[in-house]
Amino acid sequence: MTFSFIFYLIINTVAVLAIAPLFMSIIKKVKAWTQGRRGPSVFQTYFNLAKLLKKEVIYSSHSSWIMRVTPLVNIAAILVAALFVPLVFVPEPVGGIGNIILLLYLLALAKFFMALAGLDAGSSFGGMGSSREMSISAIIEPTTIIVFAALVFVFKTLNVFEMFITSAATGTPATPTLILLAISLFIILIVETSRIPVDNPETHLELTMIHEGMVLEQSGSNLALMELSSAVKLTLLMALIINLIVPFGLATSLTLGTIVVAAVMFALKGTILAGIIGLFESSMSKMRFFRLPSLFAMAFFFSTLIIIIEVFA
Amino acid sequence: MIVELFILSILVFFLGILVPLVTAARDQRVFRTAALGCTIIGSVVLGVLSLVILLTGQVFSWTIFQPFAAFSLGFSVDRLAAFFLLLIAAVSGCVALYATEYIEHLDGGSRRNLLCGCTNLFILSMLLVVVSANTVSFLFFWELMAGSSFLLVMYEYTGPDTKKAGIFYFVMTQFSTLFVMLGIVLLYGQTGSFSLAPAGISFLSTAAFLALLIGFSIKAGIIPFHKWLPYAHPASPSPISALMSAVMLKIAVYGLVRFLLDVFSPELWWGIVILFLGTASAVLGIIYALKEYDIKAMLAYSSIENVGIIFTGIGLYVIFTSYHMPGLASISLLGALFHSLNHAMFKSLLFLTAGSVVHATHTRDIEQMGGLVHRMPYTSALFFTGALAIAALPPLNGFASEILIFISFFSSVAVADPLLKVLLFICLALFALTSALSAACFVKAFGSVFLALPRSKESGEAREVPLRMLLGPAILAAACIILGVFAAQIFVLVGLSVPMPDLFLVGLLLLAMAVLTYAFLFFTASRDVRIAGTWGCGTPSQQPAMEYSGHGFSEPIDIIFSTVYRTKMKNERKFFDRKNCIFAEGTADISLMKIFEEYVYLPVARASYHAAKVVSRFQSGCLDTYLLYVFCTVIAIIIYLGWLA
Repeated sequence: MTFSFIFYLIINTVAVLAIAPLFMSIIKKVKAWTQGRRGPSVFQTYFNLAKLLKKEVIYSSHSSWIMRVTPLVNIAAILVAALFVPLVFVPEPVGGIGNIILLLYLLALAKFFMALAGLDAGSSFGGMGSSREMSISAIIEPTTIIVFAALVFVFKTLNVFEMFITSAATGTPATPTLILLAISLFIILIVETSRIPVDNPETHLELTMIHEGMVLEQSGSNLALMELSSAVKLTLLMALIINLIVPFGLATSLTLGTIVVAAVMFALKGTILAGIIGLFESSMSKMRFFRLPSLFAMAFFFSTLIIIIEVFA
Repeated sequence: MIVELFILSILVFFLGILVPLVTAARDQRVFRTAALGCTIIGSVVLGVLSLVILLTGQVFSWTIFQPFAAFSLGFSVDRLAAFFLLLIAAVSGCVALYATEYIEHLDGGSRRNLLCGCTNLFILSMLLVVVSANTVSFLFFWELMAGSSFLLVMYEYTGPDTKKAGIFYFVMTQFSTLFVMLGIVLLYGQTGSFSLAPAGISFLSTAAFLALLIGFSIKAGIIPFHKWLPYAHPASPSPISALMSAVMLKIAVYGLVRFLLDVFSPELWWGIVILFLGTASAVLGIIYALKEYDIKAMLAYSSIENVGIIFTGIGLYVIFTSYHMPGLASISLLGALFHSLNHAMFKSLLFLTAGSVVHATHTRDIEQMGGLVHRMPYTSALFFTGALAIAALPPLNGFASEILIFISFFSSVAVADPLLKVLLFICLALFALTSALSAACFVKAFGSVFLALPRSKESGEAREVPLRMLLGPAILAAACIILGVFAAQIFVLVGLSVPMPDLFLVGLLLLAMAVLTYAFLFFTASRDVRIAGTWGCGTPSQQPAMEYSGHGFSEPIDIIFSTVYRTKMKNERKFFDRKNCIFAEGTADISLMKIFEEYVYLPVARASYHAAKVVSRFQSGCLDTYLLYVFCTVIAIIIYLGWLA
């Protein structure tokens, strides 16, 4: 493990933790604007997290150690997953860090614990949330894996780091296939981060809630960890799209100048993408739960089409 | 040294068979413990032996006697066999340790002695299948394995379910032997010998392959030959389910791999057939598992899924071999073999802990359980480790082997044929669906069995099981963790290079992140903790009936995959008046259609029944008629021979 890799571990974690709440707030702000409201400050998510840290933690009397370890496991898994997607600086991969399959399964690890925590307290809201979350994540999985396979196909590597290095070298604009892939990745992002039309992150209505249902029993600093981890997850999926499609500014060497430029560029591009997500969410309505498989089937055939185009091209 | 160890382990297993047989009339704990002690000692010796061979790579073969040139009775252990010996040894040892306590809580008096002896016979026959140096002894021990496992399934022979399960299992297992025998006879026709030697390419060897594939698929529980698994596993005692699911299915995998590597020179379409069988079993197996509420039947379906994954790896191996891509082929085969070992570890762990749960709650219905995490903390932690492993979550062992198969799927870009490439990508999508569904299935299983409030009186009164029923599974759980976290290092140790990520590093990073977060919270966040009731929209007290049940949990998946499940609705109504207006009484029944049973098994059964009826007309029971048959046959033979001459 080289110095630059250890430096990467630190810089990436700090960057993702610092910027993730901002993107969450920007999405909320854009949604508020489209509804004609002024919306909360773009720093509101930071304030919320700080507030939650000061609150006491309440556990259900029926809950077990699953409830107590889930926030920690969740944030750890998501932060390690975030290490697989460089935000600003791409080092040489070490020991399989950056493997795209492992990235997917680290996200699954977090999901597994979260779903169990939803069942732990015995509340029907939590159970409903976990049940829906596991069902949705199961039926989106074929699409995700096909999109990832298409990425592997296009870049001829399993490693996200090497994909980013290649895309940074090719530069912007990306190839048409990549743009098609970006659309599929965008659908995956919407599904994985529980946004409209799959889930509504704003409400606690039982008809709509999936992710919110699972974390309903969480409180205090545990809730802060859960919210932070879903923000980090959003950011890492955004980074995957950004650095594959519009990689300009991405640092591949370790100097202060390039890192600063890369960080500023990433924040800018992320803000734009967050704005797009906000607009996308505002222009849609929540779909009925059992209508979702047809949406996913569409995404699946779309990504399979890319594969077939690539195969016969 | 190796020969001595080998003989020693066989002798110890023999002792383990003899002791309970001799003392069959005496219902004393000491004899059973002695017999199972023999299993443990034999397993340890066997484990050491196989580790030596695995690490040094030397091949050990030993001919006992040679009655004539084409046939010799002997054993041979190479690395492949040693690998499966290690699998047998590891599972048998832990299962026996668990059974020393479990068996004392079974009903059946001195019959339990026979159970111990039969278990040893079963283990011995499985290990002798693996070390068989020729097809005849392979077949002999294969049948011995089938017979002894049938006796084990029939342990609780008075139960109505057991009888059905036993007969079903017996018929299926005899079909398996029949097809294996057919394959071996066809091979003899091709090569003229009973040795496991290359057979070349011909029509006969293709036919032999198909026969063997069917024989092994029946034993491995590949769909559509899988139906015996969900019957036999719930019926048999838990240690036996663990042995059958974790080890016996792998013996079938061993058979397939052995014949593919040493005897056949596989063609592309063989690989596609195996891949297709594997993918279908994996997807359908886990979809059926999600619907199950009997915990052991659920684990049985999940075994079908995992064997499907193993077959997928083997199928990829054959496909890549036929495209002359040895690198990818070996990754696929290693993935399949490693998954066999890993599945043996976590599935026996899950079956044993499920056995503890059933023992504590006296029910196999997961809807009657719940809340056991508070009452059986250690069992729940062990089951949880198994659930994490089987859901293929990093850094545990289930993930370590599935990633190898994923890698070979992802690398299939290199295959030249575009149509095959598309086929492989579709199988990849189904493979991914399988592992996501298995995560859902085990969230459901762990959630319904262990979390929330107890849903029955028995579940509320459950107690933690004794130490030895924890120790056996604990060793398996440790193996699940070690085989996962150190997977990359283990491959280096045995001298294989595989492009897999270092899960140890990932584990360290996970640990570091968790510790840092904890430290951060410790210094910055509030440390106040309050225990309160679950929030229930203002309802005064929470009832178990308000929880999400297992059925409820899998309902969305049921609806999405409703075409696969095919429920059958029956309703009969009676009315008071002739115009059917005033409803009197009626019954409604919604049940899951047993598609394979109704469309595959029953037609075969009915056809053979009709055939038997026709044939039975010849059986008059009258001696004169039989003499006439003999006379006619002799005449026919004479005419036939005269024709030839």
